[in-house]
Amino acid sequence: MKNMTKSIFTVVLSFLLLLTGCSSGEKTATNEGVSQEKTGGTLNISLDSDPPKLDPSLSTALVDRMVFQSIFDKMVDIDENGEIIPMLAKEWKISEDLRTYTFVLQQGVKFHDGTDFNAEAVKFNFERNMDQGSPRKNELKEVSKVSVVDPYTVQVELKRPFAPFLSILADRAGMMVSPAAVKKYGDDFSNHPVGTGPFVFKERVKGSFITLEKNTNYWKKGMPKLNQIVYKIITDANVALMNLKSGQVDMTNRFPFKEIEKSKNDPNFTVISEPGQGYQGIHLNVSKPPFDRKELRQAVDLLIDRDAIVNVLLSGAGTPAHSPFSPTSFAYGESDRYEKPDLQKARDLLKKAGKPNGFSFTLKIGTSPLNQQVGQMIQTMLKPAGIQVNLEKVEFGTLLDQTQKGNYEAAAIGWSGRPDPDQNIYDFYVTGGPQNYSFYSNAEVDRLLDEARAELDEAKRKTIYDQAMKIINEEVPYIYLYHDHNVFGISKSVDGFQYVPDGLIRTVGISKR
Amino acid sequence: MLVFLFRRLLLAIPVVLLVTVMVFSLLHMLPGDPATVILGQEATPEAVEALREELGLNKPIILQYLYWLGGVLQGNLGRSLVDHTPVSDLILQRLPATLELTIGTFIVAILIAVPTGILSATRPGSWADYLSTTFALGGMSIPHFWLGMMFIVLFAVRLGWLPASGYVPFFENPVANLAAMIMPMVATGLRESAILMRMIRSSLLEVMQADYIRTAYSKGLKDRAVILHHAFKNALVPVVTTSGLIVAGLLGGLVITESIFSIPGFGRLIVESIYNRDFVTVQGAILVSALLVVVVNLVVDLLYAVIDPRIKVGKGADV
Repeated sequence: MKNMTKSIFTVVLSFLLLLTGCSSGEKTATNEGVSQEKTGGTLNISLDSDPPKLDPSLSTALVDRMVFQSIFDKMVDIDENGEIIPMLAKEWKISEDLRTYTFVLQQGVKFHDGTDFNAEAVKFNFERNMDQGSPRKNELKEVSKVSVVDPYTVQVELKRPFAPFLSILADRAGMMVSPAAVKKYGDDFSNHPVGTGPFVFKERVKGSFITLEKNTNYWKKGMPKLNQIVYKIITDANVALMNLKSGQVDMTNRFPFKEIEKSKNDPNFTVISEPGQGYQGIHLNVSKPPFDRKELRQAVDLLIDRDAIVNVLLSGAGTPAHSPFSPTSFAYGESDRYEKPDLQKARDLLKKAGKPNGFSFTLKIGTSPLNQQVGQMIQTMLKPAGIQVNLEKVEFGTLLDQTQKGNYEAAAIGWSGRPDPDQNIYDFYVTGGPQNYSFYSNAEVDRLLDEARAELDEAKRKTIYDQAMKIINEEVPYIYLYHDHNVFGISKSVDGFQYVPDGLIRTVGISKR
Repeated sequence: MLVFLFRRLLLAIPVVLLVTVMVFSLLHMLPGDPATVILGQEATPEAVEALREELGLNKPIILQYLYWLGGVLQGNLGRSLVDHTPVSDLILQRLPATLELTIGTFIVAILIAVPTGILSATRPGSWADYLSTTFALGGMSIPHFWLGMMFIVLFAVRLGWLPASGYVPFFENPVANLAAMIMPMVATGLRESAILMRMIRSSLLEVMQADYIRTAYSKGLKDRAVILHHAFKNALVPVVTTSGLIVAGLLGGLVITESIFSIPGFGRLIVESIYNRDFVTVQGAILVSALLVVVVNLVVDLLYAVIDPRIKVGKGADV
């Protein structure tokens, strides 16, 4: 019995030691599995969620687009400054009436399955994306006809001049998938994605990882530099950071805000925090009380201290917002101005609306801790004016459903953003627009938004958007809070990463030391 | 024995059916609509309607259920609404990790609980008892996700001994697999061991008071012989019951552990599918999960008979 006691004790004690060991600040050098070669090697990128659909035609999640960058090339791309640059379309001509785009395609490009990329493939992709079941349909609804001029020239006709057209082709709607693979796999294409991109889909274990291999026949000379990309699904940002610290991932697509400051001097990795294209904010349902009263919407808008939200909750990794146009957009600037919180003015507005003692409303928010913190801060900011905010946490699918049906008073739903300003404003305010969850309608705004999308000159467009935003900010169907920053953690062993404002990691030029 | 097995399996059918009916109706009561979730923020109402039609979501629920059940009876669990992957493939992809994690967690729990449980029951009131009771209390109160994070900080970041997360199938690379699984197993196993240890302690304490233990001692038997051969075996019945509950709970309840350690497990599959309103996948996964629980219960019942011959399987009404 004595021996048994002893051995049991050793076990228990060693566990206790293990436990206490966790809290002791023992310093040991981290070992990184960094390889020495300039080309080749594997790049491990952690993604904060599992891409639902690896098919550009069906995709709706932001995270899908991270992986798409490596598998699919697009008709055009955007560069570091957000300018449109050639990709699979090496040049294009826009007709006088701005309605016909003629694209000349790269020659000698092959899909990963060995079939040719040509004008027929482009036509096929356009038609596939304009199909009823594709979320791309709405983006391409101005396209009336796609015709093959010769094997490497495609002509696209639009119903009317449509400024965002090229920007749209710099994203999922412009990604070219192999027609042969679509025919072969049918509904299962999403599990066998085939494009012309720098990396070839190899294997996927859902919820765990996606492995891509170098496309040895890639049409850009000397690219890609790596042999393999592994996207690891790590849902918790802190765990992703620990993987970065321990060298198991080279890049993380999200970074915990609270750790940004602390990580500035880390010898092993760099934190990149750059403005993205999107925004976060709150829809107000203008079709029913209390927010059918403009003054109440204005009062809420006026009381929110955006700087405080950005500084406290995001550790500065964001830009206070008052418009849908982020600092990366040419339309940014004038329209993003807003007033500092003014309690007296808010009280006057409440009085004018017949609610001198305030009112209460329910704000529906998503389930993430950040959502909740934003909600609580707003709750506190509105309290001095007697405005009582009831927070209701709702899972995103439900939140989307309820807002679309108008079954809410206020709901925090943001937008990941697109390169062209039209894609960040039009569908949200135009009468009956698919993302007009606020049920806002204003003939003048409708007219201005239509005018802006028919104008190709950026300076002129900016003026029109400024006019539209002046009306929108006066009427407040939506409260802009901040423009998100894209925050990445990148190991110092990674070379050649170039930040592009769409926030997507382009792997083609990256190498590892 | 065979008759018993057969009867139990037969009895399981209505249970499993009831589970599927409940899951089916509860899922359809969820406010989000699969078509809306699949098409996302940019969806136009027409596109949503068209997709609903295509997915058969416009049909009455009863019809949808019967259609699904018909498929299941033919061994077809359907295809995921999100990406059309056969649900059975998704489950087979995810199940091994969870089964391994469950078994590993349980082994860790047993390895800790049995010795500490026996120690504290045979020396009630001693400092060893207090120590292990404190340990058990700690194990139950410390959230295992926190413990998991601390493990990662210590073993992956500070010491660099183990990978911070990621999963490699066992048959692909057993060493890498165990390296990735040891932290989650221990983090979760510690909590389960605490429950089990308390169970062993109380059950053993009760048995130790019994007359036959005194008889055994009076015959001059050694501590070890009395405790292991007489007392512990008799104390096992409630412990096995608890173990069954623990294993059944782990099978679907490892979501948090799986998330922290990025293990592509079954629990995460169910949660992700619920978020995506992927009804077909959720139904399939829950069906499999219900079947697993039935099997675990069956094993527990069979174990009773092995441990305590007085409990006869297949005979008597109380089995």
